[in-house]
Amino acid sequence: MKVRVKADMCEGHGKCEKTAPEIFKLGDDDVSIVLIEGDLPKELEEKAERAYRLCPRQAIELIP
Amino acid sequence: MTAPAIEPSDINLNNPGHFQREEFHELLRILRHRDPVHWNPPGEVSNGFWSITKYEDILFISRRPETFISSKGIAGPGIKPEKLAELDFAAQQQNAGGNASIITMDPPRHVKMRRLVNKGFTPRAVNAMEPEIRRITNEILDRIAGKGECDFVLEVASQLPLAVICGMMGVEQEDWPLMFELTNKVLGSGDPEYQTDIPEEERGTGQAARLTAMKGLQTMLEYFRGVLEDRRQHPRENDLPTILLEAEVDGEKLTEGDILQFCFLLIVAGNETTRNAISGGLQVLCQHPDQKRALVEDPSLMDTAVEEILRWTSPLHHMARTATQDVELRGKTIRAGDRVLMWYPSANRDEDVFPDPYRFDIRRTPNDHLAFGIGEHFCLGAGFARKELKVMFEELLRRFPDIEVVGPPERLRSTFINGIKHMPVRFTPER
Repeated sequence: MKVRVKADMCEGHGKCEKTAPEIFKLGDDDVSIVLIEGDLPKELEEKAERAYRLCPRQAIELIP
Repeated sequence: MTAPAIEPSDINLNNPGHFQREEFHELLRILRHRDPVHWNPPGEVSNGFWSITKYEDILFISRRPETFISSKGIAGPGIKPEKLAELDFAAQQQNAGGNASIITMDPPRHVKMRRLVNKGFTPRAVNAMEPEIRRITNEILDRIAGKGECDFVLEVASQLPLAVICGMMGVEQEDWPLMFELTNKVLGSGDPEYQTDIPEEERGTGQAARLTAMKGLQTMLEYFRGVLEDRRQHPRENDLPTILLEAEVDGEKLTEGDILQFCFLLIVAGNETTRNAISGGLQVLCQHPDQKRALVEDPSLMDTAVEEILRWTSPLHHMARTATQDVELRGKTIRAGDRVLMWYPSANRDEDVFPDPYRFDIRRTPNDHLAFGIGEHFCLGAGFARKELKVMFEELLRRFPDIEVVGPPERLRSTFINGIKHMPVRFTPER
């Protein structure tokens, strides 16, 4: 599973960073950055799904 | 003898009386348990609509802004097409949504328009405003400090969000009461208290509501036409009207109509809902004295308390969408063109998401409520709402820890806004 943040949707609420700091970091411009390029390690998939679900703007994409 | 059980088929949520009398939580519970995708038949003038009451289903709809669009209207069921011709201009305008602002705009234009202003609303921008919000809050509390009693809505709850949004819009302080009055006309149009332009004997009808909303809208647009005229000559720093005048989308400036609708939306959305969360928050804290005491003694509980106040009060009863294609949901077929109403207070009491949902708990964690909606149209002002609630309750409970609601709150007659118009409170005055 890969993760992407739609930069035009993200408004810097930071729920993803709080939920999965291993995967997301809020940048200086208030847009979330994905820290892991390519496929996520299996053990982080559940956290990624939780971040996807919680994102207020639904700005996270999970690519199987 | 017990009262006869209410069947889902008996329930018509297009009745503001249910909301004014606070019967709606019970009706929503019945629908959520027994008919979570519920067809509400048409009324004499209004369309039929689907009532969506499960958390998961509101998530499903909110994640599909191209399938469930906002541009046909976001409040209520709308008016039957065949009735439009019989009604006057006001009703037609209301149904069409007039010129669109971002709340009644669909992708892809919605995001482009929203991005013109959203940097001013991020958590970072809101945190920078905190000292100013605290200063305004204490000015408001200074004015009631010696009185010992007041109308909490008029003198406290309404004043903070009004001051913050008017400040961002560059509205002069002498005009804040006008913005308050016009917001009430637009968002509380169905309540006879705000139908002051209608002869008394004609108040309380659907037509009175439509005319009141239209009058409020037109007066507000006229006001901002003057503001824009001023800003063209005298642009200001950190001023939303100036930003909108200078902004471009796809290489084109916004039309005056676009900008006026944007200003109108920011003012009304910025002051009505947070007002009601503050009033409703104090009401529910006073109904739970042990939790109010805990919060007075330990203000570090404030962040979770604010989220619980938002879940509990759900300041907007619903948002409406219109399906652009047939969609199957829980065995029902929502047809293209059908209106769906997403009932947030129901999602926020959904037993599948919130353990013991009818218990008010200022420590509730996690608390992923949908009071601000979710997705494409997630409340732009959520950060300000949270901050205003937090600062208001910190300062209010610090200065007036014994504040009590001393009479029944007067509730707004509306299927859209969970409003409180008046709420008498008493407290030990400061010396």
